Amino acid sequence: MAAEEGSGGGGEKKSSPAPTKPGEAGAAKFLAGMPSRGNFSSGSVSSNLGGFRVYVCEHSTEPPEGQVIQTDSTNILIRHLQLKQKSEAKDAGSRTPGENTRGKRSAARSLDVNNSAKRANLGTSSATSAYEETISGFSQHTLQSFTVERLRALLRQSGLSTKGKKARQTMLNPLVLKADCLGLLG
Amino acid sequence: MSVWNYVVTAHKPTSVSHSCVGNFTSPNQLNLIIAKCTRIEIHLLTPQGLQPMLDVPIYGRIATIELFRPHNETQDFLFIATERYKFCVLQWDAEKSELLTRAMGDVSDRIGRPTDNGQIGIIDPDCRLIGLHLMMAYLSCTFKYQDAPLISFDMLAWQVIPFDNKGQLKEAFNISSTTLPWSSDGSLLPLRRSLSDRPPALPLTRGRSVPFTGARSAGDGEPLLIGLPLPSVLLLFLPSSPLSHWFWLEELQVLDIKFLHGCVKPTIVVLYQDNKDARHVKTYEVALKEKDFVEGPWSQNNLDNGAGLLIPVPAPLGGVIIIGEETIVYCNANATFKAIPIKQSIIRAYGRVDPDGSRYLLGDSTGTLHLLVLTHERERVTGLKVEYLGETSIASSISYLDNGVVYIGSRFGDSQLVKLNLQADASGSFVEVLEQYVNLGPIVDFCVVDLDRQGQGQVVTCSGASKDGSLRVVRNGIGINEQASVELQGIKGLWSLKSSFNDPYDMYLVVSFISETRFLAMNMEDELEETEIEGFDAQTQTLFCQNAINDLLIQVTANSVLLVSCTSRELVDQWNAPAGFSVNVASANASQVLLATGGGHLVYLEIRDNKLIEVKHAQLEHEISCLDLNPIGDNPQYSSLAAVGMWTDISVRIFSLPDLELIRKENLGGEIVPRSVLLCTLEGVSYLLCALGDGNLFSFLLNASTGELTDKKKVSLGTQPISLRTFSSKGTTHVFASSDRPTVIYSSNKKLLYSNVNLKEVNHMCPFNTAAFPDSLAIAKEGELSIGTIDDIQKLHIRTIPLKEQARRICHQEQSRTLAFCSFKYNQTSMEESESHYIRLLDHQTFEFLSIYTLDQYECGCSIISCSFADDNNVYYCVGTAYVLPEENEPSKGRILVFAVEDGRLQLIVEKETKGAVYSLNAFNGKLLAAINQKIQLYKWMLREDGTHELQSECGHHGHILALYTQTRGDFIVVGDLMKSISLLVYKHEESAIEERARDYNANWMTAVEMLDDEVYIGAENSYNLFTVRKNSDAATDDERARLEVVGEYHLGEFVNRFRHGSLVMRLPDSEIGQIPTVIFGTINGVLGIIASLPHDHYVFLEKLQSTLVKFIKGVGNLSHEQWRAFHNDKKTAEARNFLDGDLIESFLDLSRSKMEEVSKAMGVSVEELSKRVEELTRIH
Repeated sequence: MAAEEGSGGGGEKKSSPAPTKPGEAGAAKFLAGMPSRGNFSSGSVSSNLGGFRVYVCEHSTEPPEGQVIQTDSTNILIRHLQLKQKSEAKDAGSRTPGENTRGKRSAARSLDVNNSAKRANLGTSSATSAYEETISGFSQHTLQSFTVERLRALLRQSGLSTKGKKARQTMLNPLVLKADCLGLLG
Repeated sequence: MSVWNYVVTAHKPTSVSHSCVGNFTSPNQLNLIIAKCTRIEIHLLTPQGLQPMLDVPIYGRIATIELFRPHNETQDFLFIATERYKFCVLQWDAEKSELLTRAMGDVSDRIGRPTDNGQIGIIDPDCRLIGLHLMMAYLSCTFKYQDAPLISFDMLAWQVIPFDNKGQLKEAFNISSTTLPWSSDGSLLPLRRSLSDRPPALPLTRGRSVPFTGARSAGDGEPLLIGLPLPSVLLLFLPSSPLSHWFWLEELQVLDIKFLHGCVKPTIVVLYQDNKDARHVKTYEVALKEKDFVEGPWSQNNLDNGAGLLIPVPAPLGGVIIIGEETIVYCNANATFKAIPIKQSIIRAYGRVDPDGSRYLLGDSTGTLHLLVLTHERERVTGLKVEYLGETSIASSISYLDNGVVYIGSRFGDSQLVKLNLQADASGSFVEVLEQYVNLGPIVDFCVVDLDRQGQGQVVTCSGASKDGSLRVVRNGIGINEQASVELQGIKGLWSLKSSFNDPYDMYLVVSFISETRFLAMNMEDELEETEIEGFDAQTQTLFCQNAINDLLIQVTANSVLLVSCTSRELVDQWNAPAGFSVNVASANASQVLLATGGGHLVYLEIRDNKLIEVKHAQLEHEISCLDLNPIGDNPQYSSLAAVGMWTDISVRIFSLPDLELIRKENLGGEIVPRSVLLCTLEGVSYLLCALGDGNLFSFLLNASTGELTDKKKVSLGTQPISLRTFSSKGTTHVFASSDRPTVIYSSNKKLLYSNVNLKEVNHMCPFNTAAFPDSLAIAKEGELSIGTIDDIQKLHIRTIPLKEQARRICHQEQSRTLAFCSFKYNQTSMEESESHYIRLLDHQTFEFLSIYTLDQYECGCSIISCSFADDNNVYYCVGTAYVLPEENEPSKGRILVFAVEDGRLQLIVEKETKGAVYSLNAFNGKLLAAINQKIQLYKWMLREDGTHELQSECGHHGHILALYTQTRGDFIVVGDLMKSISLLVYKHEESAIEERARDYNANWMTAVEMLDDEVYIGAENSYNLFTVRKNSDAATDDERARLEVVGEYHLGEFVNRFRHGSLVMRLPDSEIGQIPTVIFGTINGVLGIIASLPHDHYVFLEKLQSTLVKFIKGVGNLSHEQWRAFHNDKKTAEARNFLDGDLIESFLDLSRSKMEEVSKAMGVSVEELSKRVEELTRIH
């Protein structure tokens, strides 16, 4: 053991004039006092402590009653928007002007084309602000560059309805969202 | 082959994605739990080391695992989430040794795209919440190809691909168009092209390689792009509550999420990238009632551009460490901000050392291990320090175990157990590797080499990535590595003796000949030299030799039994055969001798007080052919059972000792005499083995107390008489069967397994464990005595040839006895980094490097084959390359290089420039078929006037996106396309043209193809599925004939990079199994698998067995087998058909007897018949 330490010390000395690995000597200082709970304590670690048992699940694996975890079925978008609306009422003034403008523009567009019957799909009267919020998030992106024709074509090609009601059920499809905000679904 | 296929794993996944440590199996046992793609391994930490416990198959690709301790529990629970959005919480029931499902769920009703950065699973330190980050921005891309309809598609990427929604999308396209063929090896090299301003990108260490959506321009079709990001979502649930909720995260590009420690309300910290590529962290409190996030106590903007990993610091310090590429930052709620610069590196793995969070281990992409120290005073962090520790495999997970020992899990090299020493070694490293766990992954390519021409292939894989790259030679069977040998004719028997009874090592080797016996001993120079044991009879053949109690030696000859003292080497006692009788066969243990003389006489002697006492004598009705009294009971020096094999009635009998009462008689049937019997205990199970003169072997389960024999099984090991002997290797007992096909019989999972040995013919074997040759065997072959060590006893033996660079394509050339492969290596200087690509030549037997050919700058090897051409007797290596230029989306230039091997050197004979990357090459009708970008091109081998050759283009076929994989058979060509599945082309000789015959119209992104036979082709695609298609040559209409009919579908759960015809096991021509054609496949996680085509009736039987087994063998965590194996990609999900899950079927053999009987009842087939049929199947791999 003493010999080992001696050689280790030699290594440190050797490394100090050649600072290729800075902090090498320093690591030793921090390696003391490694947590130990008594494992790997025998002098040599044996590589032969038996093999694995392959687990064959012969028993029932049903979870206990009530532990099949379900995801709440409220659409997250709707829930989020509802919540957002509440908090928005509080800090409406805190948004940057740029965002506001964009949001308004988009909202205006969606207002143009959506009648109240379709709005009902969202199941909430907060739909307008909901749209506003969502679209303001999107409007800065590439969609702006697309023509109406192209989007219509895309909708068709993607097997999506170009008519409002059905399309809006797939609210989360960005194509639909975009189309919606451009008024294609009206 | 056929459409009815059986898929089975020959080598399980070995690439490690996650590991964690906790008290899982008991409150006071510490466990290491390792995730290897579709399997979980549970180890126990002990003072002696890491003890393997359980290997658990999971019906899903593991996305994340975590251990956590719910309130009021004394041990940890294991949380597992799969890539297909299922999760479960497991608890170990120590009493029943079962994994209980405590909770489970399925969130696959996806509302977004999978995350770009891998799925994240996190658990609140106070166990209030579990969080899963699974989905992210919905990014849909659409693209128009020629006149075909718009297609939406996904592709694979391997890295955090930093892209925003404007300019960077273009970059994503660059990646998509060139990445796939390269990234399919799990390496990231092509990404570096597009991200040339960034340091080398490395695959994710957490989560998985994830699909991202992208599009590319192809041909004249103008790309149409739509990208609409939504904020990403986080699923949260309480471990105790049955309801989980989606939470809305404003941040789009979430790179990491962690729960913070020591917060009153559950608080997450999110590392994200904004649309200007800047990275920030933000905290949120989880408002459980409102099911929403509330802006948290603090945030930190504009971090290191490469920040990618969060480490939450335990209370009382709290806060989070943010690991970047150039800096490491600590920050917390009290506005403490500490930062230190680090040498540029990508750190993807960390492990916490101290429970209080003072020290962490960090592993970077070059395999360097660092120590991160958080200095603190009075619960306040005062600074950070990073220290170099040493070199390990490239880590994907780091788990501090105990006492300075650390587990390094790796995807790109062998995982390791390392010790952190207090002092650096001569090279300045504090890291000492204690153990290395073989990992074949990622298997980028492999070839099958049949060196012995015995029909048994050995597989040579291109494994590992970057500095951990290697070739691996994988072979079935056990190798004996000869250490010494001497020419000796006519050996009739071999025994080893110790110099005293308690000596751990053997000293003498007794070699018996027809009319003499010689004694060899190890001398001081560790050489074997002839010696004398005075008391022994050297003038006659020895029938048996053995160390006995009281430091005695036993020699049995035809006339007598001699008892000799170890110390004086002088005769102590002697028993003589009665006049007129000679001993035919004999066996002995430390205190007993059993021998048989002519006339069916059985004589039983015991050694008492240095005397041989004749205890009992019996006369049997027939002659005795073999016997054994190896102790299998509790007393290792005394057996209460003896086994005797008989002539005439061909039976094996069990006698009790010392009274020599017949307990059991088992008729073997047939006319072949048993030649060797053996009583043995393997893994605590007692067996009687009985080998016949024709190379067949019977095995019986033996009840050691009653002598009852059950579960009779017969296997054919060879064609010549077998002699059986036990030996031990690494403290475990195995059986060696000497014959014309020597075999090691060993037990695994309490089942007997038979593994052939790489020796041609062995007459006799005895263990010879000396100080100079520990754990060795002495082996008598025809005319030779040799001493050798034996490989680890396992089914597959793997040899590693380290390369320090990454091999990507490999092929074997029998004629020149060489292997050639394409490889590359990063050269990193302080400023620049570049890649060098090579073609290397190796000796196929010694794996010695013979020759190297360096490719041009930017040129990389894409394909390599060995082939010969019409009107030329030479054999060549043909290499296809591509010039991968940073500014090109798609390589527009490549080369075909034709090499001859001359005097062990690669000699460039011909080179031909191509207009793109040569993704695949095939020898085809004496010509060369190349797949070059979108085109299939056929080249003729032409002799020029000056006597040299050239490749001349003959004809081609357009119309692929990228033709990545080609296979040929006769005039038919099967093409695997980047994204247009499989098509079938035909070469028309008369017209000298290649035409399309049929195609599969599904949009599968191919990763490998192979022709199973003329009609059926198999493909693997990038959502980890396998499928088969069939040519409809008999169809009535042209339309149908032009369509490749999908006949089989299966979710393998592994990314296949290559199929090759061949077998890993010896194909005995007389066995039924030998007739089953097989294909081997290799995957990114290091799996080698077998696809075997079965006859229809056999398939139907096994299909019924599989559907029965599903009812009895449940998925761990209640995951469904049916869903797991169903073909599944973004476009469709379809029930598995015409593929069988061999891993499930073969687990029948691991069932308890009672379950087997239930299965047997449900099937209406006896347990024996079922076992026999399943065991046969296990012999194909």
